[in-house]
Amino acid sequence: MEGWAAELASGRPDAAWDLFLDRYRRLIFAAIRHYAQDYDDVMDVFARVCEALREGDLQRLRTYAAQPDHRARFSTWLVTVVRHLTVDWFRHRDGRRRLSVVAEGLPPLRRRIFEHVFLDQRRHIEAYELIHAREAPTLSFKEFLGELRATYSAVTDGRRGRVLGELGGTPPAEEAPAAASPNDIADTRALLEQAFGALSAEDRVALELYVVEELPAADVARILGFPNAKAVHNRVYRALAAARARLAQVGIGRGDL
Amino acid sequence: MSHPDPLDLLRHRLDASTRETPECLDDATLAALAEGGLGAAGRATVLPHLAGCPRCRGVVASVVRSLADRAVAREVAAVEGRGRRRWLGIGLSAAAAAILFVVAVPRWVNDSIGHRGPPLPGAVVPRPLAPLGTVAEAKALRWAAVTGADRYRVILFDAAGRALYETQLSDTVVALPDSVTLAPGRPYLWKVEARTGWDRWSASELVQFSIAGER
Repeated sequence: MEGWAAELASGRPDAAWDLFLDRYRRLIFAAIRHYAQDYDDVMDVFARVCEALREGDLQRLRTYAAQPDHRARFSTWLVTVVRHLTVDWFRHRDGRRRLSVVAEGLPPLRRRIFEHVFLDQRRHIEAYELIHAREAPTLSFKEFLGELRATYSAVTDGRRGRVLGELGGTPPAEEAPAAASPNDIADTRALLEQAFGALSAEDRVALELYVVEELPAADVARILGFPNAKAVHNRVYRALAAARARLAQVGIGRGDL
Repeated sequence: MSHPDPLDLLRHRLDASTRETPECLDDATLAALAEGGLGAAGRATVLPHLAGCPRCRGVVASVVRSLADRAVAREVAAVEGRGRRRWLGIGLSAAAAAILFVVAVPRWVNDSIGHRGPPLPGAVVPRPLAPLGTVAEAKALRWAAVTGADRYRVILFDAAGRALYETQLSDTVVALPDSVTLAPGRPYLWKVEARTGWDRWSASELVQFSIAGER
């Protein structure tokens, strides 16, 4: 049992906290700095992480320590928690205000897209529908997609780019689909879900992590318990072939999207 | 009609939500996935959710990328190395922990927190002079002057990393205001940054001190 956990179990949360912070301070900073590069952001997020971990007499640490078996190392759990707290800090209050500064140099339409997609985490189609209904009735979906890509490109390139990438999710593809409206996209998406949904959960996750999230095959193999990266390549290749065949059956071609 | 390329289709998907839902996986499970620590039974339980949840997949991918970050990996190796020694049964007494704190803490931020423009090559960093270690009292912070520096920024933290006091000045000593109350026995940390050029600051190591007395 680690020292901090022993102190916690002995009812000495202050001593537990001192030991915990002594041991993990540098890791916490490193994990924050993976997402945030601005000095003031890092210090403010660190304060928030400490505050959150101390809440309820170290409730989060207490909950972790009380688990009968740990499926991940404590350091990995901590990196996960710090990731959430960092992203949440940027999503709310002070962090949100700081991120808003990023949008100040953008044209009005891209600023609005930024607010919907990065700050409010709306789906791209939802963002389009709101903008189209409220302030830009003549904006076509294709034009919107162009503006969306430009917004992603502009805001994920700076000092706060990595955390904005976390908030914005997967950026749109380089080439816009040919579909003219969100309704077409929604219809096509339903067919896509049908095709990919027919895959096993394991194949689907392998495909998503390798293709969409662009994780290295070795990492995907570790996550899914595959023997090696080659096994990931094989599974993804077969899954893609199966999806391709199903899509062809329902008449979806590349030019339809 | 051309054959569709599912790779393009996946990347063209436009309305994946990254919002958390009540069904989303907890931190322990996400960490276990990222680390590859789930057994076959555990994976079989969570994969159906993961297959349909862009948010959880994104978190797993994000944590994997974070763990692969060189600075994070270095710190993980450091704590896990220390952890293995502790698991061998070497318990730390409070006194030993305190010594460890004093030895380990002074470098906690210095090489991981950059600020604006980097110092010029060969630039001298400011050197904290007092207080350091255990002192009878700490009414002021004092450091050695840096040649060419026109301004200093001083920050005092408590052990939780909260900034208790921060100021900028051109002198090399600053008296702590009455509003800053330092409790005996508690560790405090401070550092000073010297402005050595336009938007260029060179930072001292973070040093630790405490006021003598019982906690």
